[in-house]
Amino acid sequence: MTYRQRRALTAYAFLSPAIVYFLIFFFWPIAIEFWASFRTGQPLIGESTYAGFTNYIAIVTDKLAIKAVSATMIYAIGSTVFTLVIALGLASILAGPLKARNTIRAILFFPYIVSFVISALMWKSILDPYTGLLNAALLKLGLPPQYWLTDPDAAIWVLVAVSVWKDIGYAVLIYIAAIQGIPSHLYQAAELDGARRFQLFRDITLPLLMPTTLFLAVVIMIASMQEMALPYLMTGGGPANATRLYSLHVYETAFQGLNIGYASALSFAMFLLILLITWVQFKLLNRDIRHV
Amino acid sequence: MAHKHTYSAASRFWIYPVMIVFVLLAMLPFLYMVSLSLQSDAEMFSGQVVVIPEELQFTNYVTIWEKAPFARFILNSFIVAGTIAFLHVLFDPLIGYVFAKMEFPGKRFMFVALLSTLMIPFFVRLIPLYIMTAKFGLLNTYTGLILPFAMSAFGIFLMRQFILPIPDDLIAAARLDGASEPRIFFDIVLPQIGPAIATVALLTFVFQFNEFIWPLVVVSSENMRPITTGLTLFNQEFFTQWNLTAVGGMLLFLPCFLLYLVAQRHFVQSAMLSGMK
Repeated sequence: MTYRQRRALTAYAFLSPAIVYFLIFFFWPIAIEFWASFRTGQPLIGESTYAGFTNYIAIVTDKLAIKAVSATMIYAIGSTVFTLVIALGLASILAGPLKARNTIRAILFFPYIVSFVISALMWKSILDPYTGLLNAALLKLGLPPQYWLTDPDAAIWVLVAVSVWKDIGYAVLIYIAAIQGIPSHLYQAAELDGARRFQLFRDITLPLLMPTTLFLAVVIMIASMQEMALPYLMTGGGPANATRLYSLHVYETAFQGLNIGYASALSFAMFLLILLITWVQFKLLNRDIRHV
Repeated sequence: MAHKHTYSAASRFWIYPVMIVFVLLAMLPFLYMVSLSLQSDAEMFSGQVVVIPEELQFTNYVTIWEKAPFARFILNSFIVAGTIAFLHVLFDPLIGYVFAKMEFPGKRFMFVALLSTLMIPFFVRLIPLYIMTAKFGLLNTYTGLILPFAMSAFGIFLMRQFILPIPDDLIAAARLDGASEPRIFFDIVLPQIGPAIATVALLTFVFQFNEFIWPLVVVSSENMRPITTGLTLFNQEFFTQWNLTAVGGMLLFLPCFLLYLVAQRHFVQSAMLSGMK
């Protein structure tokens, strides 16, 4: 055996646990879920028969699924837009010469690290109509109490707000790093030309941050599209399914409805959509980097 | 902005108040949790704004252990998150080394396949993983809780990035001297990536300590619950007793909070790294 062959064998030996692991716990599950998504009956757990695209077509006529898709779109787009706008504002201040800016950054980032169970439960407690802090404060100010989590029009926006609250620190962190990477001579040159602070922001910072914005938009969007813990913890998907996010719908279809074939189709459809978004981001990012 | 002027007095006049508002908002649920955990039932139900409870009810911190097996919940969380972090420390550096410094046929393909697993959302694996776990008879076991997270492409990728800059000459010289690959890995590579391994261990631990969906699905017996689902189901049972839920929240909060205080830099740096991929 040559030296080169021996080295290759060593490499495969080192890799073998990982190869086995990723095949069993990543690729195999996807394969059998893909298979199950084309079957009716009890695929994976009992008898089943091939059903073609029936499960995928059923998504379009499933009122709950449609509701889940629209709630998820509001949630994902709302979370992304508000997070990015607020984070960009905060980051452009925090990238400047501000006392205690590292402390502020660390505090803003903390909600991103902490368990979402705590955050969701405590926000729910704060919003509790009878014992919560918010209504107590409103009462003190002479304002009427609010029932946000039980109002179908408001509840989804409460979830958006909590999601924005959680993600802002992460987006701020990434934006600060990107802003600090912009060459300062660009600003100096523009200032010599008499540009004002707002113009510097609009004409230099904002365009140069495009790749970062796109990256953050996709990361936050994809994470939001998969969110299940937040509605599970705060609203249980209610009121009137207004906060039944897609993942929660998949979870309940699979684990309460025990409709494995249909649930597999639901989750595979979302998987394809997420892959598509990732691919589009890849294309856009590559183009952007070439042009900046 | 990245230039050197200080903010003018006029700017500071609004910048600081805005920052204080956002900082307070970021901390509000946690401050509220501390306050709530020390309130009596009467005070909590009073409908008044309570910042500091009139009489600090430390008894809440005593009664909680009787209402649900919280000690067991925390122990479960530490066992599961600790084991997963340990497995990552064991495997990620070695596999990262193979991809960073060794040559073999199929390397590029395997690396791309590995990275592609980063794009697989957990909920897509959820149903088949649950059925596999059930078929292996691993529901309600530590093994069942641990297996789906024992390895991840993220930790391996991070390790590879840290190992890449180690000079190839150093490794080539050791190979010429007849050192075996395991020897090179342990004597040359490992000592240089200590901080990176600490980062992976820390992030993995905190991430797994916070894991919610998988234990929700795979654990039905109360004694096998980690603190995340233990607290959630406790809250569903005692849904009016927010002060007790807050005490349980403190138990889930403190380990991560302390780690964040000590090692904030690791968290911040790895988050920034994700932005530069």
